[in-house]
Amino acid sequence: MIGVAPPAYDPAAPTTANTLPVGAPATVRAYVVELFRRHRRAFLLLVCVNTVAVVASMAGPWLLGGLVERVSDGVAERELHLELTVGLFVAALVVQAVFVRQVRLRGAMLGERMLADLREDFLVRSVGLPPGVLERAGTGDLLSRITTDIDRLANAMREAVPQLAIGVVWVILLLGGLVITAPPLAAAVLITVPLLVIGCRWYFKRAPAAYRSEAAGYAAVAAALAETVDAGRTVEAHRLGERRVELSEQRIKEWTAWERYTLWLRSVLFPFINVTHVMILASVLMIGGVFVLQGWIGVGQLTTGALIAQMLVDPVGLILRWYDELQVAQVSLARLVGVRDIEPEAGDAELAPEGRDVHADRVHFGYLEGVDVLRKVSLEVAPGTRLALVGPSGAGKSTLGRLLAGIYAPRDGRITLGGAELSRMTAERVRSHVALVNQEHHVFVGALRDNLLLARTDATDAELWAALGAVDADVWARALDDGLDTEVGSGGFSLTPAQAQQIALARLVLADPHTLVLDEATSLLDPRAARHLERSLARVLDGRTVVAIAHRLHTAHDADVIAVVENGRITELGSHDHLVRADGAYAALWRSWHG
Amino acid sequence: MQIQDLPYPDPGVPDARSGPRFLWWLFRNQLDGQLKSLAWGLLHFLSVSALPFCVGVAVQAVVDRSGTRLALAGGLLALCCAGNAVGELFLHRTSITNWITAAARVQQVLARKTAHLGSALTQRVAAGEVVAVSTGDVEKIGWFVEAWSRFTAAAVTVVVVCVGLVVYQPALGVVVAVGLPVLAIAVLPLLPRATRRADFQREKAGRATELASDTVAGLRVLRGIGGEELFLDRYRSASQEVRHAAVRSARMWSLISAIQVLLPGLLLIAVVWYGVHLAREGRVTVGELVAVYSSIMILTYPLRHFEEIAMAYSFSRPSARRAARVLSLERVTDTDGSRDGSEVPSGDLYDPATGLLAPTGRFTAVVCGDPDAAGRLAERLGGHASEEGTPVLLGGVPLDELPLDSARTAVLVQDKDPVLLSGTLRELLDVPRSGAVGAEEALAAAQCEDVLAALLQGSLDAEDPMDARITERGRSLSGGQRQRLALARSLITDPDVLVLDEPTSAVDSHTEARIAEGVRNLRSGRTTVVFTSSPLLLDRADRVVLVHDGEVTAVGVHRELVHAEPRYRAVVTRETEEDPALNGARDKGTSLKDVLKELEEIEESA
Repeated sequence: MIGVAPPAYDPAAPTTANTLPVGAPATVRAYVVELFRRHRRAFLLLVCVNTVAVVASMAGPWLLGGLVERVSDGVAERELHLELTVGLFVAALVVQAVFVRQVRLRGAMLGERMLADLREDFLVRSVGLPPGVLERAGTGDLLSRITTDIDRLANAMREAVPQLAIGVVWVILLLGGLVITAPPLAAAVLITVPLLVIGCRWYFKRAPAAYRSEAAGYAAVAAALAETVDAGRTVEAHRLGERRVELSEQRIKEWTAWERYTLWLRSVLFPFINVTHVMILASVLMIGGVFVLQGWIGVGQLTTGALIAQMLVDPVGLILRWYDELQVAQVSLARLVGVRDIEPEAGDAELAPEGRDVHADRVHFGYLEGVDVLRKVSLEVAPGTRLALVGPSGAGKSTLGRLLAGIYAPRDGRITLGGAELSRMTAERVRSHVALVNQEHHVFVGALRDNLLLARTDATDAELWAALGAVDADVWARALDDGLDTEVGSGGFSLTPAQAQQIALARLVLADPHTLVLDEATSLLDPRAARHLERSLARVLDGRTVVAIAHRLHTAHDADVIAVVENGRITELGSHDHLVRADGAYAALWRSWHG
Repeated sequence: MQIQDLPYPDPGVPDARSGPRFLWWLFRNQLDGQLKSLAWGLLHFLSVSALPFCVGVAVQAVVDRSGTRLALAGGLLALCCAGNAVGELFLHRTSITNWITAAARVQQVLARKTAHLGSALTQRVAAGEVVAVSTGDVEKIGWFVEAWSRFTAAAVTVVVVCVGLVVYQPALGVVVAVGLPVLAIAVLPLLPRATRRADFQREKAGRATELASDTVAGLRVLRGIGGEELFLDRYRSASQEVRHAAVRSARMWSLISAIQVLLPGLLLIAVVWYGVHLAREGRVTVGELVAVYSSIMILTYPLRHFEEIAMAYSFSRPSARRAARVLSLERVTDTDGSRDGSEVPSGDLYDPATGLLAPTGRFTAVVCGDPDAAGRLAERLGGHASEEGTPVLLGGVPLDELPLDSARTAVLVQDKDPVLLSGTLRELLDVPRSGAVGAEEALAAAQCEDVLAALLQGSLDAEDPMDARITERGRSLSGGQRQRLALARSLITDPDVLVLDEPTSAVDSHTEARIAEGVRNLRSGRTTVVFTSSPLLLDRADRVVLVHDGEVTAVGVHRELVHAEPRYRAVVTRETEEDPALNGARDKGTSLKDVLKELEEIEESA
């Protein structure tokens, strides 16, 4: 049997749930319309220069047709106007060359402008996402959108959109040229159209999904290898080398199965296109030839028509080449535009806390409908106190911490800061009072200055140095070659984990919130660096209200108040000594720890 | 080689002495495919080039008012049409097959090389290079290797057509034969500059993507502290830089397009001018003139392959060089070993360099103040380490003298940052193992219940947690959850000797206490060595060894050492002797300090 069925395994099928929404068709359409409107002048300009270029390109065939007509009629040398014709020919050629250059350039300018708009729009939307959405969805999905999807769209915007616009105008003008030369010749071209349409319909129904799978399959080959490299030690320790080779070969098999399928799709399409191209020429020559023999049109018209028909190959190829790219781009565009569908949290800009006391009143909260992770939690944290949350993994400590930091809103009950409800304030207002410090002490790619300025954008260099000094980071920072201008982050100057933490602490000094929620805030460091850092952090915490999610027990020991969280409830609440005396869960754990 | 037969059962041993040799090796290994591609290419290009001849016959037929000759032209056209369609179809099929088989072969030899190098790769800069070859270079290498036969077919066609034109119509043919080579090479000098600008644009685009993904990766920090506008402005300017670079690059390419219009156009005009004179003198017919004209229009198509091959070469050269470099890497130690590996030794594990002894069948905990030194010591305990030193003995046998595979079978070292390979949980736990420990037992001992629940929640359609997928490096899980899964994987392997480096550093105290109990029970009667400073684990060990400055300085049990050994106490409780002032006063300041200390201890960075 001839034909290749699509492979059963589809590497492009999603394996993890989309954590962020994908744009609905209406949203995507609205966005595309807006994009066109924003760039309509550039589009118009592109169409105009393209028109000039194509019209000029038809001068050659037209002039040659005229010459052929006159030569075959055997007119006199003088009436041939050869010099004039050649002069016109040269002029048309120069115009054509100049305008082809403009078409290419204007197309690129338009494409690049649209692409820049798109990626900047997307980042603007992304940085406006509510903290709760980010916390819940993670940044993985967003990251793949800004890398993979932008990449896929780059081709579409940079090439497909302008090239399709050019191709369509081109075809229309060439057909127009044929009509003007000799209307029957245009009809001769059109009889070949059904053939092309049949082939294209069959192909484009299958192609976009198949190319997506093929690309995903190819990416999976590289990903398998990258993982083997990344996990080199683990692979060797567990003797997984042979299996990794087998996995790579499995991926190659899956990828090439899709390559074979798309090759089959093209094997069907190509003959249609090829035959159409030659058919156009043949039908113009044969039908036109008969017409000439009948005396209905001249030899010159036939020559011009045949040469124009020959020129149709290029724009038709252009349209077919870029059409499916546009289809693939639609999917990526929907993913990018999807971020717009997330409602930005309104928040009441007027609402501001009076005072610093944190109060949780019968709070219920769950990530899923009907499943509460926290139940009826009430707490009071007086300004300047230190509260430790302890309990087993999954008990709800971290969730409670995020509620107290205003990242999530309670399902029922209220959490107030200085009498004002946290969940009704804007994210910008909340963070000027409360900061969540977690294990993500991300160092951004860029200058050290930018890494600090983000906490207070109007800070002077002196203030930045003061903040670095406050966390004992000024000594190494001053030793950097370019001081605050030193490039840090991946690819730049590599900071030690301890230095990265100091940067995170210096940001807190600059942002200066009065309440801190610490969740796994610091990492395992060598003891000397740790001791150094303790002093830095102590200085930052001094005078602030602290809620510490304690994974280890000595954190709890010295807190003013300890809350034991078990199964979504606060089961014990009090000072260390109080809880040890009470002889409950906390006391049992403390004994096993201390021996 | 057909696509459906991939992957190669044996991709062969690459000639990685240099980039060009590597390219030649790939070419040589698909000579068959290259010859096929050449043959089909000739059919395709020659059929296309014959079209102008048909046009000329048709036009002349009409001029001469001959219906038969017009029909003849129609017949010739049909023939060209068939040759063109068949030729292009099979040229495309053979070219793509050549490209894919070359790419697959490179990926296969890379995968084999990577598996062979194993842990040696992670210590070298080469890790990034391997990935770069696999993601970007393979395509370019495959492109150049494949394009060769296509280019040859096009070049042969151009020569044949020129010779044909000279024979068909000597006077005009000579003009074309002189003009065509100029067209072929005219834009070549511009290509290096154009590709340089394109590279620059790619570099800028890479930088912008990096900034965007970096901003998104740190988005929670930005949203929590502020500075969104600062980073948006930064990204906007990077994005605009990409745009400017792209437009600059487009200027060059548009210039090339203009030249590609102008030069053939001038040749056409020359042919028309000269041709009309000749036609007036009766030396050429009108049909012949139209045929030559049409031929120049058509020949620009095979001529484009001259540019393509020049570009393919300039792109693939650095790629091939890098691939050859990666493929010629070798491991430092001899992985075959000098001893027979069929009999795996057993007995005490002993390190002569530090004096560390892990008695067979016992649970030994090692405390070491310097985490880096602990990591190096743990690696050495498995033999075939990346740095040379006195070999560790297992039952008196130096592990370095065993074949690598036997040494790894005898001793499993789980390093501080074990990687979770992506796939289902079942695949993750499907590692070579003794078979004595089941998945459920291992998962229970490592306290993984909540991890299973989290995996199920994040998966799309799995009902059994064993079918739930773990994303790359386990990124969807927390640090503690990842550690527990890695521990379960090591437990299921059930090696004679299991060495664990800080296996629970990111796990909370409640869970850690249960893990200590679980591991102890599961490993009873087997040799286990744990590097840790957590009292909860130390308390469960049969034997605790303190290593200080590369030497064993104390041996005992936790309760004894914590009272008798100040240095031990300093590491385990994180008190520091040099800082008596802070230790002495249990005031507010100290309590702060402890809060901090604690937080630092917990987190194994994500």
